[in-house]
Amino acid sequence: MNGNDGTNDFLALVKSVTMLTADDKLSRNKIQSTRDEGEQESPEKSAQKEKALAKIKASKAFKKRKKDADEDSDFDDDEIARAIFNERHAPLPGQMENCEICDKRFTVTPYSVQGPNGGLLCAPCGRQIAKERQGEKPKKKAPRRQTAGIGSRRAAQSRLLDGSVGTLSLATLCVQTLAKNVELAESLGDLPEHLVDKIARIFSKRRLLGPDTLPLFLQPSTQTIRIYDGAKLGEQELISIFQIAPGLKHFKARCVVQFKDEVMDYVLSRDTKMESFYLHGANLLSEDKLHEFLRAQGSYLQNLQIYYTDKHVGDETIEFVREHCPNLKRLKIEHNQKLTDKGVKALANVTCLEHLGLQLEHSPSSPAIRKAVSGSGPNLKTLSLSIVPNADDSVLDAIHTTCRSLSKLRITESHLMTDDGFAALFTAWQNPPLTFIDLEKCRYVSAMQPRQNDGLVGLCSNGFKALMAHSGPRLRYLNVHACRNISREAFEEVFSGASSYPEMRRLKISFCEEVTDYVLSCIFRSCPNIKEVNVFGCMKVRDVRVPRGIILVGVPNAQGMITEGKH
Amino acid sequence: MASGEPSKYVTLVSGDGFEFVVLREATKVSPIISGMIDPRSGFAEARDARCVFQEIRQMMNNNFAVFFLTKPGSLFPSPVLDKVVEYFHYWYQYRDNDDVPDMDIPVEICLELLAAADYLGLDQATMNTRQWS
Repeated sequence: MNGNDGTNDFLALVKSVTMLTADDKLSRNKIQSTRDEGEQESPEKSAQKEKALAKIKASKAFKKRKKDADEDSDFDDDEIARAIFNERHAPLPGQMENCEICDKRFTVTPYSVQGPNGGLLCAPCGRQIAKERQGEKPKKKAPRRQTAGIGSRRAAQSRLLDGSVGTLSLATLCVQTLAKNVELAESLGDLPEHLVDKIARIFSKRRLLGPDTLPLFLQPSTQTIRIYDGAKLGEQELISIFQIAPGLKHFKARCVVQFKDEVMDYVLSRDTKMESFYLHGANLLSEDKLHEFLRAQGSYLQNLQIYYTDKHVGDETIEFVREHCPNLKRLKIEHNQKLTDKGVKALANVTCLEHLGLQLEHSPSSPAIRKAVSGSGPNLKTLSLSIVPNADDSVLDAIHTTCRSLSKLRITESHLMTDDGFAALFTAWQNPPLTFIDLEKCRYVSAMQPRQNDGLVGLCSNGFKALMAHSGPRLRYLNVHACRNISREAFEEVFSGASSYPEMRRLKISFCEEVTDYVLSCIFRSCPNIKEVNVFGCMKVRDVRVPRGIILVGVPNAQGMITEGKH
Repeated sequence: MASGEPSKYVTLVSGDGFEFVVLREATKVSPIISGMIDPRSGFAEARDARCVFQEIRQMMNNNFAVFFLTKPGSLFPSPVLDKVVEYFHYWYQYRDNDDVPDMDIPVEICLELLAAADYLGLDQATMNTRQWS
């Protein structure tokens, strides 16, 4: 007990001594106590501090600091707010302050450096800290995440245009991972064909298909190869396709510039029996070689599709097709600069065709198209006439009278066909309902009187109503892009809810001026399975709520579509 | 389990016997599983809320699916079904969001997972992405 008394006395002595310097220290303690995390603060003081902190949290400076801090580390809000609080309550230049590191007393100047905990430092400590900080490398900004921040909206819109919204499918995620790690893949194993095709598409989209990745798609047993972007493939790689897969049945290659005569020579030297031959952009291949191919192997061909060949497929080619391809079901010649009316007329003699697609620079005349359609008319399942400004109602009439099994019809950019012609086509037509109709840009164009269309040229209200009445129940895809004379009343009547269109998946009504929010909501209601609607240039669409799962592309505002509802 | 309200959870069993208990709602993204466990279907899977995927391990073994041919007591755990289940939850969590981070797929099982995804109908075209009744 005695010893304890002794220490008490000693403590009392120390207390009295410290009392003497209390005045001196008072101001400092005040600052310190507000600044420290402060367990010994009085309640009202801490309440005041809380208030101040809350105020800081709402301030602009706080938000800025937080944004900066988020990029390199994760301070929590309280820490940031406290740091700002401390800064604001830092002593002004001229006042005395204790150094945060060495606790020495010093005079604050405008150049005093801030310490790691927000307090000020004395000159020597400050210099050291400054030196250390200079040694640090400038911090790298973390790469921006795709899902948040600036650019996310653009990314989201880009995905919308790809037709995906919300979560990607597991298959897509896998294929994307695969595409990111192509160099690790040795073979695709025995994946089903549609998955291989999916992989091929993504590879081409990312420009990954080259000499090193082509073998992934090639096996001795391969029967089908689809190359969506063969720009990186050389002559040798193209030849290797036929070397490795002698049993190739379906060959599809887009953008294969190097598919030259030499490659065709190799194909001719082999005994391939191709059923489908699809060539896109092979404009170095000469016409003679193509004819040779048709002569040698045309009898097996069921599908022949040739795109972008400049001047190498002409009227004579049609003759070769007629002569040597007795089993041809599908013929598509598009972006062609050589074929003329003569060739189109000659198509009438290729009577086995079921699918016909033409897009010619020498736009075919009505009589030529009529003749071509009449040849294989009753069997035709697909008729695609792209960019036919010279085709008129007589073509529609020919389709009406001859076609009986059509399921896909495309007539685009006709400037002569009239509303009456379309209405007559779809009225009392003995053809079953179509699943695919594309009448893009069948409309009246006049620079003199753009608003008037007295002759009802193009697809207008009556034609549209007749179309939907005929094909509505089975229609999956409808494109009436820029058929701008379809009235609002016609849209409202068609989608009034009186009839529903259960099969409809994609609808393109861009540049149809009369489409309003109401029309769109009617469409959503009467097409229960619709996936995508295009409304570019429909300026009367303002504030439409899109049910979840539907993609509305081209809304004329910056925000894009607003989705509503839940799964 | 045969009568009354069906369980909120479904048990998925991999070919090598690993069991995963998943929210019933979350499996609805797969048309195959939702068809199997639909109470109206009357399948054994629907009665027990339990689906056995023997083939999903099989895919691990030899890279292609030999359906319903499985060695009992295999040493393989089922990382594939594990990922599939992770995807169900990922989908369920983000099903009402437009802005979704991509799920990570381990590169090693990428192809097997792709085959499994195809088997379960988890492709953009076949997925149940629309509202159901």
